Amino acid sequence: MFMSRVSAFSRQILHESKKSSRIQKILDIPSAASGKRSYCTSSILSGPVVIPSENADPSMKKYKFWNREEYATKGKYDYIINISPDSIQREAKILNLSDPDDEANSALFESLPYGAQILKTGTKLVDFEDVGVNEPNVVFVSPSCPKARKQLPLLLARYPSIEWVHVRSAGIDFVVSDALSELPVFMTNAKGQFSSSLAEYTMMACSYFAKDLPRLMKQQKSKNWEKYDVEELRGKTLGIVGYGDIGRACAKLAHVYGMKIVALRRNPKLSANDPYCSAVYGTDKKSLNKLMSESDYIVSSAPSTVETRGMINADAFDAVKENAVFISLGRGPVIDEDALIAALKNGKLKGAAMDVFCEEPLPESNELWDLENVLISPHNMDQTSTFMHEATEFFVYENLPRFICGQNLLNPVNPKLGY
Amino acid sequence: MSSNQYWNRETSERAQYSQDKQVTQPANIICLTDKNDDANRKLYDGELPEGAKILTVASKFDDFEIKELKEANANVVFVSHPKAREPLAKLLEEIPSIKWVHSRSAGVDFISSETLANSNVYLTNAKGCFSSTLAEYTMMAISYFAKDLPRLLKQKQDKNWEKYPVEEIRGATLGVVGYGDIGRAAAKLSKAYGMKVIALRRNPDNSKDDPICDVVYKNSKESLHQLMSESDYILCAAPLTPETKNMFDAAAFSKAKPNSVFINVGRGPIVDEMALIGALKNGLIKGAALDVFAVEPLPIESELWDMPNLLASPHNMDMTKTFMHEATQFFIDENLPRFLREEPLLNQCDKAAGY
Repeated sequence: MFMSRVSAFSRQILHESKKSSRIQKILDIPSAASGKRSYCTSSILSGPVVIPSENADPSMKKYKFWNREEYATKGKYDYIINISPDSIQREAKILNLSDPDDEANSALFESLPYGAQILKTGTKLVDFEDVGVNEPNVVFVSPSCPKARKQLPLLLARYPSIEWVHVRSAGIDFVVSDALSELPVFMTNAKGQFSSSLAEYTMMACSYFAKDLPRLMKQQKSKNWEKYDVEELRGKTLGIVGYGDIGRACAKLAHVYGMKIVALRRNPKLSANDPYCSAVYGTDKKSLNKLMSESDYIVSSAPSTVETRGMINADAFDAVKENAVFISLGRGPVIDEDALIAALKNGKLKGAAMDVFCEEPLPESNELWDLENVLISPHNMDQTSTFMHEATEFFVYENLPRFICGQNLLNPVNPKLGY
Repeated sequence: MSSNQYWNRETSERAQYSQDKQVTQPANIICLTDKNDDANRKLYDGELPEGAKILTVASKFDDFEIKELKEANANVVFVSHPKAREPLAKLLEEIPSIKWVHSRSAGVDFISSETLANSNVYLTNAKGCFSSTLAEYTMMAISYFAKDLPRLLKQKQDKNWEKYPVEEIRGATLGVVGYGDIGRAAAKLSKAYGMKVIALRRNPDNSKDDPICDVVYKNSKESLHQLMSESDYILCAAPLTPETKNMFDAAAFSKAKPNSVFINVGRGPIVDEMALIGALKNGLIKGAALDVFAVEPLPIESELWDMPNLLASPHNMDMTKTFMHEATQFFIDENLPRFLREEPLLNQCDKAAGY
């Protein structure tokens, strides 16, 4: 009876595990080579057989990422796995690699589910000295840990019992490194958590230029009642570079405005049936330039990886449509900032709105501060007063129970790819 | 909208009239317009549907040859001139053959008069033609305050990199006062953002099955106050009528949430501007965004110019390069053919109600 409840999927994994002892192969983390994804934890090798939780909504099982617009009403999560004595597969013993005073992590100390405990909180290896070598199996890491990139591999090396690392934020660039890529670990993050705020920012940035808000404010200051034509977003084209959760949230809004949407991503096939995009391109140079030439508004919502660094360069800016507006909200290094500044100065671009930069805080010497046609924000356009608390809550209410019940985890990321 | 009683650019289908039906009456058109108005070019010089012709183009009553117009059986007036109220009333008195008056704009307050109200003519307008642009403006105004754009711009001026928390539009409540095409277009966008929508209108039954608004109130002082107390953002998209004049008074603003934002895309006189200034100064509301004013252009002496928490625009937030051309095109392509075939006209207004 026990075996009959094991799904065919799990049986296949068990079978494959016998063929190879390398964790990496079994984990089958999303890679560019295969479009296939499967999200199993390494405990399949050593622990009990995975039995799907009966309390979990079967229709939700196939969701591989968390998207706040679809799954939560503000503050409440609606796909919560109920942990019962029958469904517990293992305990979660957590190392909290964060600043101990980080208030956003309050859910870790106030609302941990049954079967989970925080062993220790600290920001460097030595803080965790008194934790036994085979005790922890989970690491929760926040950007509030100053040298997380250095400390995380050290932690993983000292505690080989660690199976899973959850990154509180969406960006994982602050923890990835070659050292980390060497280690076999399953990693998840908070993608989808910040998307709606950034989508709101994107539409604001588009309207800022369409209705010529700079002109409006200048006229208001000089008490000048002068009518002028405004542009519509309706009918214009939004080009989205990096079509992940944030890109898709932007597309959702832009679509309702009546904009045409073209997107660019590593795996365009994954968006083949996307209801919002009229075209989806791959990341080759030609496609990028095509997107730039078709779009009235371009938003870069791509992560910073080895491949994307400096991707939007002088060539790309040369290809833009007349009067184009550029919006940057993924990661600064994706843009060649010098090329952007040149394009803004020589009129190739009508304007730009930037929330992220190669160097943050943006140094006073950077020319962007002085350009009139640039809207600058201090990387805070996703910074709602509760966003980091909610990101922690996502770990506590969504992924921890899944881990404890042997369920597939949400939001897997590939440290080698950088996203 | 299968009965298609109004034209909405986003959703209405073009040319939804019986095209194979015969033309049964002529359209002899008086243009009460500025003859140099380029937006009407297609009307003056372009091809009109068969059976329609322009009799004259003028803006002052004295420029009209009444006798000739009566003999030519003038039966349609196309109005776009801002000072059309009096000439139109006189034309209606002098030329009883006039059956139909079409206003190129959405607002018809500029031509309202007792003569018009008492006459038998059809009055149609351009409702639905400007809605999407104003909806875009509404979301921009909401974002302006939610993301604290004024702070952002000041920090840029000072080269000050200072992080601060932004507010989410998602989850906030939008109260729409005057739930016509413009209100509905704004509600449609705000719903996509994840806002809750409260609508207030004269005929709430008309919105009974509307999937976009969550709650509908019938227009009354109490329900307006209720809406003010529940909304984070209030959008006035109502027409100017004797009922709506000065609707937003000191009492209404006193009920508002202190962090709320007031947006007006309807008509200026709907708001008691002194009360609004008071509300902005005393922190009764967080801020306001106005595209319309009681007096336009806004006089230099008006205190509104100096309010730091006000976003003021010169009644141009629906003024795209082509919007008036499109409004004229609507008359030519949609309502003229219907008139010629004696089919029901789109966008009929209630002359007594004023919208």
